[in-house]
Amino acid sequence: MSLEDEYRSVRHGAALSRMDHVGIVRVSGGDATEAVDAICSGDLWVRDGRMLQTLILGEQGQPVADVYVCPDDDACILMFEGITTEALSACLAQYADPELAIELEDLRPAYELISVNGPYAWEALSKWLTPDVIGLPYLSFYHFDRGTCFRGGKTGEYGYDLAIRSDQVGRAWEALLEHVSALGGGEVSLETLDLCALENGFFSVRHASAEGLTPLELQLQWRVSARKSFPGATAIEERRAKGMARRLTHFVAREGVKTGDPIRDADGPVGQVTAAAFSPGIGGVAGMALLDLSVAHPGIDAFFVPTPNADRPIRTVSSPLLFNRSLLIDPHQHTYATRDQTSDPPLWLGSLP
Amino acid sequence: MTTDLSDYVSSRVAVLDGVRRMLRDAMKLRIEPESIDPDVPLFGTGLGMDSVDAVELVVQLDAVFGLTLAGSPWVSAKLRTVNTIVDAIMELGDEP
Repeated sequence: MSLEDEYRSVRHGAALSRMDHVGIVRVSGGDATEAVDAICSGDLWVRDGRMLQTLILGEQGQPVADVYVCPDDDACILMFEGITTEALSACLAQYADPELAIELEDLRPAYELISVNGPYAWEALSKWLTPDVIGLPYLSFYHFDRGTCFRGGKTGEYGYDLAIRSDQVGRAWEALLEHVSALGGGEVSLETLDLCALENGFFSVRHASAEGLTPLELQLQWRVSARKSFPGATAIEERRAKGMARRLTHFVAREGVKTGDPIRDADGPVGQVTAAAFSPGIGGVAGMALLDLSVAHPGIDAFFVPTPNADRPIRTVSSPLLFNRSLLIDPHQHTYATRDQTSDPPLWLGSLP
Repeated sequence: MTTDLSDYVSSRVAVLDGVRRMLRDAMKLRIEPESIDPDVPLFGTGLGMDSVDAVELVVQLDAVFGLTLAGSPWVSAKLRTVNTIVDAIMELGDEP
């Protein structure tokens, strides 16, 4: 499929993806929660069967891993991007109390991760797994005979991550591909998922935007505890006391803007593009930039990216950039087959500079 | 910075601060206003609000800022982050 076809799958149908970039481990033992709490930046106030989005930070306060913590009886399942299982294990060894009774089990290669995203992802899952999946709340998970279904996603649409037993994953992939194809979708690459995450303002630890930045600049303070100690906490407090100078801000442009470009106004530099990609939904470039705090606000038309040929104007905007279809679809009322009866406003309600 | 841009940023920051205070006080979030990031999601992740909070939020936005969202087809688009609320409040000032 072309990138545009893949994009249409995620934004209008259902998309199936391999999640080889995501690690998954099970930390078990009576002290599992306490050990995981010691390395994560957020407060682990989350019940069994629910999921918490948090971070693991480096000593300088920079995110090194984007983590879902999923308490599961006396254990915690961790799904993570940004670090290896070995690095996660080393982090536990360094920061968790060595007296704690824990055991870390890498769930790969016994399990593989695949994901289904899109406004009708729930319909594919309800046909393949059980109609009960429709009732699974956002950031919850449950086990089934072939693995575990996590309701999360980083596209702004309905999203499910499936940890499936390796001996079952081939058949599962084939069946799910058939279901998503019937819903106007297909297999979708990580590149397209990353674009959708960018449009919806999801943090990506795999992008350069995290380098040298703390959750303060990245607008991720909600993932940082104010009540406990964790790796990087001292650096964040120092940054907070000193005052941050820049903040991540979203923007759109017509064309010709790419990651790393400088951003200026009439008086001089004001920031730098940290991520940018062409968005079919917007019909232009969707991006994030690190802007001087004094101007890090949506609704500003005064900035541009200088190029040898012409200055490329940008417009700062609020995140998320899109009016996701999933906001309009109720699995109890709608289906892909009756999609023409659903309100269909444009994905992008703004305009380009 | 031009005068127009400076004026815009000043008015935006004033609305942003007002929304942050309203979230802390009326919505009873146990968080300091300056720790509420402008692009933080309101529901699910982020501030972790739920459907009951949404009803109260709509009431408070009307009471504090005169922003009427009840019955609007765009309510789910306007209540996604602090910044989308600020956008909606600032648009009120643009209306004739």
